[in-house]
Amino acid sequence: MNLWLMAGGGVCLSLIPCAFLCLTGKAERRLVGFQMASLVIILALVIFTVAFGRMPFIDIALTAAIMSFGGGIVFARFLEKHL
Amino acid sequence: MTAHNIVITVLLSLVVLSCWIGSVGMWRMREPMQALHYLSLPACLGSVFLAAAVFVQTGSSQASWKTVIIVCILLAINSVVTHATARAFRTRDLGHWQPRPEDNIERIPKRRGEPA
Repeated sequence: MNLWLMAGGGVCLSLIPCAFLCLTGKAERRLVGFQMASLVIILALVIFTVAFGRMPFIDIALTAAIMSFGGGIVFARFLEKHL
Repeated sequence: MTAHNIVITVLLSLVVLSCWIGSVGMWRMREPMQALHYLSLPACLGSVFLAAAVFVQTGSSQASWKTVIIVCILLAINSVVTHATARAFRTRDLGHWQPRPEDNIERIPKRRGEPA
């Protein structure tokens, strides 16, 4: 196991508090947990790309970074008006 | 262990640490507005350290420059999304997001001739 895989595992473990927050509590706290999880997943995707040496897969992290903007804004607007 | 490996180890440790402090801090905060502040740790610190680690590992490659683009996107987007989310929380609570008189926000008096 190389250093990058260990770092990817460590970053993925920080998804546990995010999952706990997403699954329990008020809608506002769930949204914050979701946004933190999307950030952590983007970082984990970059780390695993380097860990496995498959550099074209970094486009997935790039796409996730761009799409997380839309997801966050849409959820915030939905929470503000409809939920 | 070479200096190259030590630098990567330190940078990746900082990435993991920033993710952990952000997640646990967010989890421990009672108010959602307080928890929102912890988003900036992985977005601003973690991503910059990760880009540095990728640069040290792969040099000036396509992957490292794409990581820089990801960092720029995260830095730009995180502030906008956090602001929009905080505004949504306030609107949800109060019905509007403008400051109330009891919020005790200092207001700059307008000069004469400025539009209202």
